[in-house]
Amino acid sequence: MPAEADEPIDLEVLAPGPGPAAAPGFILSVRHLRVTFPTDDGLVRAVDDVSFDVAGNEVLGIVGESGSGKTVTAMALLGLLPKSAEVSGEILLGGQDILGLSEKSLQPLRGRRIAMVFQDALAALNPVHTVGAQIAEAITVHHDLPKDEVRDRVASLLDLVGIPNPRQRAGQYPHEYSGGMRQRAMIAMAIANDPEILIADEPTTALDVTIQAQVLDVLARIQERTASSILLITHDLGVVAGMADRVMVMYAGRQAEVGTVDDIFYGARHPYTLGLLASLARIDQGSKAERLYRIDGQPPSLIRVPDGCAFHPRCFRAVRPDPCATDRPDLVGAGADPAHLSACHFADELADVTAEQLREAMPR
Amino acid sequence: MDGESPVEPTVVHTRGISAAAGMELELLGAPEPAARTQWSLFSRRFLRHRMAVVSVFLLGLLLVACFGARWLAPYEQNQQDLLIGPVGPTAGHWFGTDELGRDQLTEIMFAGQISLRIGLAVAFIATLVGTLLGSLAGFFGRLPEQLLMRLTDLFLVVPAIAILAIAIKRFGNDSTTIVLVLAGLGWMYIARVVRGQVLSVKEKEFVDAARVSGDSSARIIVRHILPNVVGPILVNATLGIAAAIVTESTLSFLGFGVQPPTTSWGRMLSDARGTVGTDKAHLIYFPGLALLLTVLAVNFIGDGLRDAFDPQSKR
Repeated sequence: MPAEADEPIDLEVLAPGPGPAAAPGFILSVRHLRVTFPTDDGLVRAVDDVSFDVAGNEVLGIVGESGSGKTVTAMALLGLLPKSAEVSGEILLGGQDILGLSEKSLQPLRGRRIAMVFQDALAALNPVHTVGAQIAEAITVHHDLPKDEVRDRVASLLDLVGIPNPRQRAGQYPHEYSGGMRQRAMIAMAIANDPEILIADEPTTALDVTIQAQVLDVLARIQERTASSILLITHDLGVVAGMADRVMVMYAGRQAEVGTVDDIFYGARHPYTLGLLASLARIDQGSKAERLYRIDGQPPSLIRVPDGCAFHPRCFRAVRPDPCATDRPDLVGAGADPAHLSACHFADELADVTAEQLREAMPR
Repeated sequence: MDGESPVEPTVVHTRGISAAAGMELELLGAPEPAARTQWSLFSRRFLRHRMAVVSVFLLGLLLVACFGARWLAPYEQNQQDLLIGPVGPTAGHWFGTDELGRDQLTEIMFAGQISLRIGLAVAFIATLVGTLLGSLAGFFGRLPEQLLMRLTDLFLVVPAIAILAIAIKRFGNDSTTIVLVLAGLGWMYIARVVRGQVLSVKEKEFVDAARVSGDSSARIIVRHILPNVVGPILVNATLGIAAAIVTESTLSFLGFGVQPPTTSWGRMLSDARGTVGTDKAHLIYFPGLALLLTVLAVNFIGDGLRDAFDPQSKR
C-alpha cells in the first residue's frame, strides 16, 4: 500500500475547518439513498439505504472496496446515473431535493454548486480542446464574462493548482500535460465556479505516490482557500487519514461505519473497518517479515447480498445464524461520540478489539 | 560519412534501418517538440499519403479549370464550327470536336462546373443532414434513436432511380432538384456512421465531465462530441462527393439528368454513347477520363483523410 507515504505530507495540511458539531446547517444531506439496476440476472442493489450529511468546509471520506457503492453514490449526487438506474431517497443540496430533477434544472447546479473531479483525468479531458479552453468553458457555462477576464481567471485557476507558466500552459492540449498536471487541471476545472461541494472520485488512484501527495496537497489548499466541502471517495485509507474530517466506510452498497477520523482509526466499532485497518502494511510497527492480515472471502455479488448483515460470511465476530445471518443491523450510535455510528450487532463489544490484536491473532 | 560530432554517424545509421527508426530520427530532429498539436500531427500523416497529395493538386487543377472556364477555356461555350465537323485531337482542339465542331476541351470544362457543383452540393447537404440526425439519434438514444434510425432504414430501401425519375417529372430537371433528391437519398450513410461514432464517444468520461460542469446537451454535442468524430464525417463527405458525381452521370446518361443546353459530364457521355468503336470515340473518352480522374482523386483524398485522422496509424 502506497498510502503510508502520503501520511506525513497530509498531516500538516489537515484542514482546520469546524467539526460537524460546530456547523449548524449541512451543505449536503443524503437520506435513504437507494440505487438499483435491473439486469437479466436480477436486481443489483448498488446503493442500499445510505444516509449522510456533509457540513460546510468539511471533508467527508468515503472508503470501501471496489463495488461497494462509492462511485454510484457520487454519480447519483450529480444525476449522472444511466437511465436504467432506479434511484430513491432524498438528496438535499442546501435544503432543495435535487434527486430526480430534470437535466435542465440540474444544469445551473452542476459545476456551480456541486462539481466533480474524476479519477482518470486523461479520459475526463476532451482531447481535441486545449486545457485552457476547457476550463474557460466551465466558467462561461455559468458566467457571461468578457474574453480577457475569462482568460485571466483560467490563468489564475491554473496557477492556484500549481501549474507553472499558466498562461502558456493554458494553450496546450491534455496530451501535452503530465499525469499529475492533468489531474490538477481537472481540479482547476472543477473549482472554476467556487462550488459549495466538490466530489473527488478517487482523485489520486491513477497517479504515482509522489504525484498523489502533490494532488492531495492541492486539494487541501483549495479547500482551505475556498472553504468548500469535499466528498473524497477513495479506497486508500492513508489518503482518508490525511485529508478527511469524517469517514464513511461502505460495504456492499451499505454503510458499515461512520465517524470522525479518530473514531474510525483509533476506535473502530465495525469488524469490516477493523479488518481494513489490520490489513494495512505498517512500516512503523513490526519490523519482522510478518504476513499481512487479510479478510477472508470476497465481497458479495450485489445481486445476492447475504441475509442479515452483508458482511457476516467474512466476519471474525459474527454469531451465526442469529442474529448476524438473520437481522440486518441498523446504523446506530457506538462509542462516546454520538456522531460515531456503526452497523454491527456487536458494536459495543468491539470497543476492546484493535487492529493490532487482529493482526497478531492471524495464524502464521 | 566522417561526421565531426559523435552524433552524426548514429543518425546516418538510424536512417538506414527502418521506417520506425526513421520516425525516431524525425523526433530527434524536430526543433520544437511542443508544437505537435492535433493539426500538425494530422497534416504530417496526410502529407505522407502521396496519392492523396497528388490528388489534392489534381482536384484543385480540375476545380480551377472548370470554374474558371469562362476565362481559361480556349473557345466560347457552345461555339460551333460546322466546317470542321467531328475531328480527333489536333493542335487547335486538344480534345477534338463534336459533330457541330464544338471544342471538346471547352465543353468538358463547362460541363465540369455542373458535375462538380452537384457533387459538392449533394455531399454538403447530405453530410449536414446526416450529421444532424445521426448525432441526435446517437446522443439521445431510446425513442428519438428508434424513430430516426428507422427513418434512415426506410430511405435506404427506397429505389433511388425510381424516386429520381418521379421527382424530376414532378419538379423539372434543373440542377437544384437533382441536388435535393440526391442529397435526400444520400444522407443515410453518414447518419449511420455518425450515430455509431457518437454512441462510442458519448460514453467517454469527458462527456460526463462536461455534463458535470453544467453543459447543456446541445453544447455537449457541438463542443465535445462532434469535434471528436470530425474525421469519419469528413472522410464520408469526400466519398459522398464522388458518389454524387457518379450518380449524376448515371442519371444524365439515362436521360433523367440535366437537360440541354446545360451539360454535365454524364450528359456528354450520354450524347456520345453511339460513338463507341467509331472514329469519333474521343467524344466518349475525354469526358469519361475527366469523370474518372475526379472520382479517383476524391477517393484518394478520402483515403488520405482516413489515414490522417486515424490516431492508430503510426505511418
